[in-house]
Formats: sequence, structure tokens, C-alpha cells
Amino acid sequence: MSLLQVIEAGFGYEKQEIFRKLNFQVEKGEVFCLLGPNGCGKTTLLDCILGVRQLNAGKILLNGQDLNTFRSGQIARYIAYVPQSHERTFPYTVMDIVKMGRAAYTGRFSAPSKLDKAIAREALEMVGLFHLRHRPYTQLSGGEAQLVMVARALAQKTPMIIMDEPTAHLDFKHELEVLETIVELVGDSQISIIMATHFPNHAFYFENKKLPTRVALMHDHNFLELGRPSEVIAEESMKTLYGVNTRLISCATGERNELKQLVPISTIS
Amino acid sequence: MLLIISPLLCIFASLFIGRYPLSIDEVIRILWCKTAQLPCEVLDIKQTIVWDIRLPRAILGALVGGCLAISGAAFQGLFRNPLVSSGILGVSSGAGFGAALAIVMFSSVSSATYIFAFAFGTLAVFLSYIIGRVYDTTPTIMLVLGGVIVSSVFSALISLLKYVADPYQQLPAIVFWLMGSLATARYSDIVAAGLPMLVGIAGLLAIRWRINVLSMGDKEAHTLGVNLAVDKGLVIISATLATAAAVSVSGIIGWVGLVIPHICRMLVGNDNRVLIPASLSMGACFLILVDDLGRIITGSEMPLGILTALVGGPFFVWLLKKTKGGNW
Repeated sequence: MSLLQVIEAGFGYEKQEIFRKLNFQVEKGEVFCLLGPNGCGKTTLLDCILGVRQLNAGKILLNGQDLNTFRSGQIARYIAYVPQSHERTFPYTVMDIVKMGRAAYTGRFSAPSKLDKAIAREALEMVGLFHLRHRPYTQLSGGEAQLVMVARALAQKTPMIIMDEPTAHLDFKHELEVLETIVELVGDSQISIIMATHFPNHAFYFENKKLPTRVALMHDHNFLELGRPSEVIAEESMKTLYGVNTRLISCATGERNELKQLVPISTIS
Repeated sequence: MLLIISPLLCIFASLFIGRYPLSIDEVIRILWCKTAQLPCEVLDIKQTIVWDIRLPRAILGALVGGCLAISGAAFQGLFRNPLVSSGILGVSSGAGFGAALAIVMFSSVSSATYIFAFAFGTLAVFLSYIIGRVYDTTPTIMLVLGGVIVSSVFSALISLLKYVADPYQQLPAIVFWLMGSLATARYSDIVAAGLPMLVGIAGLLAIRWRINVLSMGDKEAHTLGVNLAVDKGLVIISATLATAAAVSVSGIIGWVGLVIPHICRMLVGNDNRVLIPASLSMGACFLILVDDLGRIITGSEMPLGILTALVGGPFFVWLLKKTKGGNW
């Protein structure tokens, strides 16, 4: 049984259809990348899986059970969420933020226990930010703050994490840091990741790291293609998806290691 | 511990402050024989001053200040906005309208004033909630908008009542009520308004860690496992009970619900687990002290709403300057 199954899913606002008849599943320990131009409905699809929005048609099965039968709070024990850009308001300490990942396991009128604190500490160690635990998270760099969000998701102890463009606004190094953390998570703890991204090369990155990776190209209310990055991400499909001329190149990065990269050449006018 | 002791100390200290001087020995003797129901050898007038005037006033001040500050802190977290105060959902203007209406209808301040103020204060919040309700959810921004609309409508209605009120009796009563005062505090006020205040305070204290999670915003709070409708509702109901009851006995006292949570943020940090009780305690102390100040500086009573703004305003400017380079 797949961890997540999306069956004939459709969603639209009153006058505007976003997607229809989407079918896919996500297995344990798999990276599932959603690619598509701005406004194609990636975030809306993720919202439906998170239970923030309700599908108009079809259904979503989590561990074989219909998502609609989950009480609020239960979904949070299956799926954690790393937002695209987190608006930082109050200068909570890093530790306070990560402890919030334990809300689904904490009663309405209580606070995180000793065990919860230990789990939060462990999550911070996994992303390598334990030394910053007492710092106000408003003082962290964008990359560090995003890793704090990943740590908060880890503290939720879910089999699946949904990330909505987790590397948006990050610089060259921090982007790679987030990707490396994801590789570790999937490799070590068999967590499944669903990730919306703007960069086809992210999918190649995971594939090159030998993770089970699949890509869905979201186009015209549906999936244009769905499969392994090396099968799906091609010059022809990118032309349809983004209207961009690209070249697929490949370079050696050490013995028997090869890194595929998609290089944008020009837009089609 | 400090959080419990300091308001008690403030209440005790305020028993000495006023036009009629009293010694420590006298005050302690009065407190002792009144609680133990023994006959007192102190002058009757001194007994009345301590037991029937200064003590209920200090207790009410503590409750009102605590309620305004704790609700302000909770709303700041809920609305993810550090500049929000306890009146954000229109409770103050609603209560002000209720009081003014009662004054116009019954020609003087009576117990109906309190009841009307409480009823319209809660009604205003309910209206803001209804306006902010879109589909099945109440997005935070819509709630704030609802609060702004309801506040301005009730403010206009207050002006209307002032306009039609009798200018010799009713108008001064309305104006004075709106400026806030604890001068008429009696034990019956404490008993009547104390229940909703204590229920509200208890609710906010109980749910305080959840306010941290709610301050992450609706979507993130949902994905962290929070039942938004229930938890937001509980915070709003608790804060509204506390604020509406406070405003209905004291009139409109500004600044406490905004400035006190900020002082506490500087002192104890932003974790609502600590911030909420700290705001309660600090708000109680602040209002007792400001009320004492009002008794000292002028012979006649200076309305509290004026003093809190006069003390709170400059302090807030200083605070903004100071924290500019800080954690914000």
C-alpha cells in the first residue's frame, strides 16, 4: 500500500479550474518533485494533500484511508509542511519554533513535555543547527531559518514531508545545504518528500544521489508527464512546459559519477 | 512566584496612598481584624478608608489591568501583530456605546451601565467575528478588518449619543465614563465583574502555549495539527470575556493592553508560556500604580484613561527606539 494515493483529483475555484483527474502515488522513502510554471496549481495541490483545501472531485488516501475521515490534528502526524517563505513576526528562540512541531502530540491546554523537548533537540541536531537553539530565529539568515522550518517538520515525526519551493530566496550555498539535508533524511530515515520546485535540476540532483526520485510535470490542468527525472526532463518537454529552449548536458563529478544538468538557452517567442 | 507576589505587594502599598495618611501598624491592624471579624480599636473612618475604599479599588485595579494586558498579549499572538491591543475586535468601542446608551436611557450611571457595557462589548466582538467569516473559516486578516469596521461604527454611534444627550447631566457622565476610572469601585463590582474576568484569565492561561502555534499563521498552524476554529475561538472568547468585564467596570483605559505585553516581551521573551502570566501580573501592578499616581498628583480624581496614555505614550516611544536594533 502506498503512503499517499491521489485518485482522480480535481480542484477549481468558482470560475477557474486548477487541475482535474490527477492520479499519482508516493511511496515510502521516495522523493516526488512537482515541476511547472508559476500559477499552474502546484501549491493548490499541496494544500489539498495537507487538508488546507478540499478537493472538488476524486479523493486522497493517506495510508489507505480517505483524507476526509481524518480529524484535524491527525493529518499532522502523517504529513509535515515546510513553507515556501515563512513570515517571521515574533522573535521566538529557535528551540521554541522547533518545539511547535510537537503541537499535534500536545494537548490543547498543555505544553511540550520533556520527551517533546528531547525530540526537538534531536531534530535540530539533524539539520546541524543545535548551536543556535537559544538565538531568536528572526536573527538567522534565510538559509538557517529554512533549516529551522525543516527541523520543525522533523520534530513532527511524520513519514512524509511536503516542501513548497523550499529553496526559494536562498543563496547558492544555502540552497545546496537544504538539498543535502533532504538527501540525508530520505537516505537515513526513509521519509518521503513531496517537493514543489522551479528547478528541474533539483530532480536531477536527487537522482544523481541515487534516491528513488520521480517528477511530475504540471501543465494545462494535468500532468504532462510523470516518471524518473532522466526520462521526463528533456529538451522537448521543457519546451512544452515552460516555453524555453534548453540543452541537457552531463558532466563527470568523480569516478563513475555523472551529474545531469539542464541549461536554459532562450525563451520561445 | 514573583508574578504572584508583586501584584499583592502593589495592592498592599496602595492602601497607604491617598489624601488621608495612615501608618503601617494601623493598616495591618485593620486588615487583620476585618478578615478575622474581630472588633477594631482603630478609628471608624480609617477602617472605611482602608477596607471599603482603597482595598476594593486596588483589587479591581489589579483585575482590570491584568485582564487588559493578558488579552492584549493573547491578541498580539493570535493576530501575529505586535501592535494589536485588547480592543482590536471592537470590544472597547462596543462597551463604550453600551455604557453611553444606558446613561442616555436611564439618565445616570447605574448598574445598567455595567450590564449594557458588557453586553455591547461582547456583541461588538461577535459582530467582528461574523463579518470576518468567509466560507467556513475566519482568516485573521478578515477578523482584523471586521474589528476595524465594528469599532468605527460604534465610535460613530457613541458620537451620535453624545450629540443627542442632555448636555448638563448625561453628556459629562458619558465623557467621564469613557475616560476610565476606578474611583467608584465597590466589592459588589468585584463580585459581579470578577467572574467573567477570572474565567477569561483562566482560559488564556490554560491555552497559552497554543497561542505560540497560532502565531505561526493559519496555514502553518493547521499543518502543525491545530484545530483552528476551536483554538482561535477559545482565545477570542476568553480574551473578550476578560476585556468586556474589565471595560464595563472601569471605562475605557487605553495603552495597558498594548504597552504591558511589550514590556513583558522585553523582560521574559516571546514564548507565550511565560509571556501570558507575566503580562497578567505586570498589567495588574501597572494599573494599581497608575491609579495611585492619579490619587497623588491632583486633589480631584484624574481619569485613568488619561494617565495611562500620558505615562504609556512616552514610554512606548522610548521602547520603540530602544528595541529598533534589538530582536525585532
